[in-house]
Amino acid sequence: MKRLEELKEAGHKAFVAYIMAGDGGLEKLGEQIQYLQERGVTAIEVGIPFSDPVADGPTIEAAGNRALAEGVTLEKVLAAMKGFEFEVKVPLIIMTYLNPVLRFGAERFTEEAKKSGATGIIIPDLPFEHRQLIEPFAKQQGLVLVQLVTLTTIDSRLKEILKEAEGFVYAVTVTGITGTRDDLAEEVGAFTRKVRDLSPVPVYAGFGISKESHVDMLREDVDGFIVGSAIVQAFHEGRIADIEPLIDAVTVPHSV
Amino acid sequence: MTRVKICGLMEEQHVRAASPADAIGFVFAPSRRRVSVERAAQLSRLAPEAVERIGVFVNASFEEIATAVEMVPLTMVQLHGDEPDELIRRIDVPVIQAFSIRTQEDVRKLESSIADYVLVDAPGTEYRGGSGHVFDWSLLENTNLDNSRLILAGGLNADNIQAAISQTNPFMVDVSSGVETDGRKDEAKIQQFILQAKGDSMERTKEKTIDPVGFFGRYGGQFVPETLMKAVKELEIAYEEAKNDPEFQKEYHDYLREYVGREQPLTFAARMTEAWGGPKIYLKREDLNHTGAHKVNNAIGQALLAQRMGKRKIVAETGAGQHGVATATICALFDLDCVVFMGEEDIKRQQLNVFRMKLLGARVESVSKGSGTLKDAVNEALRYWVTNVEDTHYLIGSALGPHPFPTMVRDFQSVIGKETKRQILDKEGRLPDAIVACIGGGSNAIGMFYPFVNDEAVRLIGAEAAGEGVDTDRHAATLTKGSDGVLHGAMMKLLQDDAGQVQEAHSISAGLDYPGIGPEHAHLADIGRVTYEAITDDEALASVVEMSRLEGIIPALESAHAVAEAKKQAQAMGQGDILIICVSGRGDKDMATYAERLEGLS
Repeated sequence: MKRLEELKEAGHKAFVAYIMAGDGGLEKLGEQIQYLQERGVTAIEVGIPFSDPVADGPTIEAAGNRALAEGVTLEKVLAAMKGFEFEVKVPLIIMTYLNPVLRFGAERFTEEAKKSGATGIIIPDLPFEHRQLIEPFAKQQGLVLVQLVTLTTIDSRLKEILKEAEGFVYAVTVTGITGTRDDLAEEVGAFTRKVRDLSPVPVYAGFGISKESHVDMLREDVDGFIVGSAIVQAFHEGRIADIEPLIDAVTVPHSV
Repeated sequence: MTRVKICGLMEEQHVRAASPADAIGFVFAPSRRRVSVERAAQLSRLAPEAVERIGVFVNASFEEIATAVEMVPLTMVQLHGDEPDELIRRIDVPVIQAFSIRTQEDVRKLESSIADYVLVDAPGTEYRGGSGHVFDWSLLENTNLDNSRLILAGGLNADNIQAAISQTNPFMVDVSSGVETDGRKDEAKIQQFILQAKGDSMERTKEKTIDPVGFFGRYGGQFVPETLMKAVKELEIAYEEAKNDPEFQKEYHDYLREYVGREQPLTFAARMTEAWGGPKIYLKREDLNHTGAHKVNNAIGQALLAQRMGKRKIVAETGAGQHGVATATICALFDLDCVVFMGEEDIKRQQLNVFRMKLLGARVESVSKGSGTLKDAVNEALRYWVTNVEDTHYLIGSALGPHPFPTMVRDFQSVIGKETKRQILDKEGRLPDAIVACIGGGSNAIGMFYPFVNDEAVRLIGAEAAGEGVDTDRHAATLTKGSDGVLHGAMMKLLQDDAGQVQEAHSISAGLDYPGIGPEHAHLADIGRVTYEAITDDEALASVVEMSRLEGIIPALESAHAVAEAKKQAQAMGQGDILIICVSGRGDKDMATYAERLEGLS
C-alpha cells in the first residue's frame, strides 16, 4: 500500500473500485479485477457477501444476495483469488462484515487473505474499540486494517482513530448507507479537509460517490475516491464502460 | 460469598421463609427461643436439604449434644458456654464456638479456639447465647483469625448487614432478633435480611468481575458502523445519567402505574395447578398491561430517555407487532414521530397490530427482504437509524443490539421480576422453586429473571421456539442449535451456516421468530444459571387451548411457549413447590392464527 502514499505525493488522485465478489458467478471475479486494473483504478475492494449487510444500501445488498445465491463464501473468494493466473498490479482489499470472519476464524482469515494476495482489510461493523479482535492477526501478516471515519465521528475520537491509521482512511461522505446519490451535503468538504489535516495516510471519500460532480466537489479536499454501488450495478447490467468517464475524471491529471 | 444463618427458629412458616439461607439454627439452651429436640426434628424436615441445621447449646453434656445431632439430625453444633476442648473434640460434626467480644483481650481468646468456626457476638445480658447488640466490628480488624472461620453475630439486621459484611468479610452471618417483630420471627424480615446479605453482596462482586463496557462474559459489545458510534456512545452516557436520576425514575414509574396499569397481579392458577398435579402455579400477568404485553414497559422508558436527549423521532422494529404497538402508543402519548419496520410475513400474520399502529398514527414500513420477519425488520430499522441518526432514537424492543440497549431494555423490563419477587414473598413467604419465560430476543425473560439471578435456589428456564422441531431447518432455537456470532450490533448466539451467514428462523409465533438471542441470555446459558428448552409450534398451540380453558386467560403465542415448558417442568416438581410462568402477553393479536390452526375446536 506504499504506492498509495507515493501517488499522493505525486499529486495524483486515487480511484478505488468496490466489487461484490461472486455477483454473476465467482468466475467473473478475475475478469472484473483485470478489467479494472487495466482501466487504471488505483486499488480494488473485494466485497464478501453477507446475509445482513446493515451498512449497505439496496444495490450492494442485492448484489450480495445474488452472490449468496451462487453459493459464494469468504473461503471460496479467497481460494478464487489464489487461483488468479494474471498479474495483480493493484492492491486488493477484502471488505467484509465481521461475522463471516469470526466464523472462518480471525487468525486463519488473515493468513489466507495474505496468501490470496490481499494487502488490506475493511470491516464496516468492527468499530475502533473492538479492533483487537482482528488487528493483531492482521499485523502478523502485514495486512492493513483500514479505518472508517464519518461525519458523525466526534473530534476527539477522530484524532484517536487517525493516530493509528494505516494504508488509507475511509472517509464516509454521507450519514447513511452505501448507494448512489444525487448530491452530497455541503459540510462534506469541511469534514474531509479536517480528516486530511489530521491523517498520516491518504484520505479517500466513499459512500454515495457516483458522479463526476461529486468528484469535482471534493477533488481538492481528498486524496481519492471510493466508488461501489455505481460499479456493482454497471457490472451487473453489463455496461461497465459507462463508468470509464468517472474513473478518468479522478485519475487523469487535471490541467489547472 | 458470605453465608447466612437464621437462628432461633420455632415455627414452620419461618423455616420456610429461611429456605434461601445457608443455615438455620435451633436453640436447645434456656432461652425464649428454646425448642425441644423433637420439635427441631419436625421443623428441620421443612428446610431444603442443602441448608445446614445448627444446634445451639450452653454447657450441655456430650450425651445431650450427641442425641440432638442424631435425632434432628444436626449438621453443625454451636457452643455458647465454657465447653472444654475435650468436648469439642468428641463432637462428630463441625463445631462453632461462640465468643462475646468487648475488648481486644476477648479477641485473643477466640484466636486460640480449636473449634472449626468461631462465632463472635456482643456480650449477652439475660441469657448466654446472643444479645442482639452490635459490638465494635473494628476489633476484628487486627486479628490473626482466618476470615473463613469467622461467623459474625450480634445486632445484625437488614439495614446494617451490608456494612457488617464489607467491614469484616466473614464466612457466615448469624441473625436472630434482627429478623423478629415483637419477639417473634417475621417472614418478610427474614427474606429481606437474606436479600441484603446475599443478593447485594453478589451484585457487588458481579460488578467487579463483568467488563463494565457492555459485555456479558464474551457477549455484547458495540458492533455497529462508525456512523452510529456517536449515537450509541451518547445513549450510553444519557442512560447512565437517567438511571441514576430519581426524577427520571419517578416519571418512569408514574407512567407505569398511571398509564400502563402496573403493578400487575401474580395470579394463582388453581385449575392449572390441579390439572398438572404438581407445584403451585402462579402467573405473572404482563398480558394485563395497556397494549397487551410487556413491551410497553421498555417503550415508555426509552421514549422518556429519547426526549431527555432532545430526540423527537422514533424508529422501531417489530416482530409480532407488540413492540410496534407499544412504541406507536407511547409516541402518540408523547407526540413523537414514529416509523416502525415490520417484516412482510409478520404483517400478514399480525394484521390487527398493523392496523393498531396505523390508527395510533405510526408509519408502518413493510420489509420484504430476506424471510420478511423480525431479523429483516431490524436490518431496515438499523439502516434507517444510520441515515437519520442525528434526530432519531432507535427504540429497540428486545434485549438486543449494541450496548447500552441490552442493559437498558433489561433494566426497564426488570419491573416484571421485581414485582414478582415481592408478590411471591407476600403470598408464600418464600421464593419460587422455578420460573419459566419465553425467549425470542429475550426481553420479558431477562426482565423476569434478572432480579432472581443471584437467588441460586430459584431455577430459571427460558422457552425458545422449536418451530417445526429442532431437528428440522424450520425453528428459532438459538441456544439449542446456535453458535457465537455478531449480528445487529452485538456478539451473541446465532443460527448461522458454516460460512457465517445468518439463517432464517421459523416459528409460528412472530415474536420468537428471530435467529439470535440477547447477549446476556447467551452468557447466562454459558454459565449455566438459566437453562433453555425448545418448544414446538404444536406444543405451544396445545398450551394456548389448555390455558384458555383452565384459567380463562388466552395467552399470546409467545407466552404459550412458556406455558408449554412449564407443564413439562411441573412433571418433575413436588406439590409443595412453586412454579411461576411469565405470561408476557395476551392472545388477541393471534386470533387469526388460532382460528386457522385450531379449526374444528369446539
